[in-house]
Amino acid sequence: MSSTKKIIVITNSFLLAAGVESLALEIRGLLVDEVFSGSEKKLCEKVLLKKPDLIIIDPVSLGEHLIPTLRTLREEPETLIAGLVSESMKENVKSKFSHQLVKDAPKYQLIEELQSIIGKYIPEENSKTLSKREVEILKNVVLGLSNKDVADKLFLSVHTVMTHRKKIARKLGIKTVSGLTVYALMNKIVDMREVERRT
Amino acid sequence: MILEKEMKLSEVILHDYNLVPIINRFGIQLGFGDSTIESVCKNKDIDLDFFMTILNSFHDPQYMDKEYLRSFPVELLINYLKETHKYYLSDKIPEIEVIIDDMVVEARDDKGPYLLLQKFFKDYVYELKKHIDREEALVYPYVIKLSSSLKTASIPDSVISMVKEYSITLYEKEHDDVEEKLNDLKNIIIKYLPTVKDQKNRFLLLKELSALENDLADHARIEDLILIPKVEILEKKALLG
Repeated sequence: MSSTKKIIVITNSFLLAAGVESLALEIRGLLVDEVFSGSEKKLCEKVLLKKPDLIIIDPVSLGEHLIPTLRTLREEPETLIAGLVSESMKENVKSKFSHQLVKDAPKYQLIEELQSIIGKYIPEENSKTLSKREVEILKNVVLGLSNKDVADKLFLSVHTVMTHRKKIARKLGIKTVSGLTVYALMNKIVDMREVERRT
Repeated sequence: MILEKEMKLSEVILHDYNLVPIINRFGIQLGFGDSTIESVCKNKDIDLDFFMTILNSFHDPQYMDKEYLRSFPVELLINYLKETHKYYLSDKIPEIEVIIDDMVVEARDDKGPYLLLQKFFKDYVYELKKHIDREEALVYPYVIKLSSSLKTASIPDSVISMVKEYSITLYEKEHDDVEEKLNDLKNIIIKYLPTVKDQKNRFLLLKELSALENDLADHARIEDLILIPKVEILEKKALLG
């Protein structure tokens, strides 16, 4: 595992969060970005904005908010979700999570579990260079076209365009249109005159 | 480590150098000998609870003592946030601009990438200013008005309807795009600027951008964790009458 992964832990227990963080530090290339606590409405929004690779949820701290929280978080299909469960936890809570970290398990087992979750399921990008299609989409985005315009022009669905845009952002590490513009200009994907002509 | 008012300010600063700009913002100059935080605050007429809250929240982002929240006037917080805005706009941003200008001059043959960088940063600053202006023109006056009307015997109806209409919880944050732009800029410098021999300015720029990023994150955290909860308390009071 060479690239850095972002993990967010949702819990109101400081000890649990610190525990998960220390566990994650044992795995190379893993970065615990931030630890969120509480169960307020804004939490999901905040967490998703950070674009984590994995969200670890302590179901106990969320209580009745667990189901609505999961529903919102699952709208981002590329983000993995794991539950911090324990042996004694009710089956109907445990079954909400397809990935689980068992709190009472010994260290080596926890590390293995965590590694298998993030290592196995996160699609590895072999190449950081953009594909032909991605370059084409990047060019149009930089020239000021909306997702809909790009889709119409290239005979794609808006959804496909958005998927490509997400991939571009991930590959380059650049998210904003102005940042992409600088990249495209530096790499001569567009030239200054074209950019200045955009509406 | 949680910082306590009985500690010597000199030891605190030795322990965490990042607190220097904070004490500077409160008007504390170096050379305070062995004075405790408490006595420095007393001398400078600084609200101790408020100072401890800001100091601790910078020192340890995970630390936020709820008890301090209630104990200082919200006006102090607003003043502090305004001071930090001023610090960004009149100190930090110009410093970064000088470094970028320098890089443009240094690049002899191909100035293209550096001019792009310059333009990108200019756009970023424009957006940051817009965000700051909005806070100072709308959000802060709302908070001040709310707080001052709570001190009067009866709360004017206009304030109550203002609370109902506005409410701090609706205060949409626009930090995000500003944050992302800064991150993009760092990535461009690290990954995509053409390689050069003399990297001094590039390192300096990265260092300054990271410092600005941290500062802005702290600023946002203080708004989220101190200002908003505090104003929510005031709003509740206003609605209860």
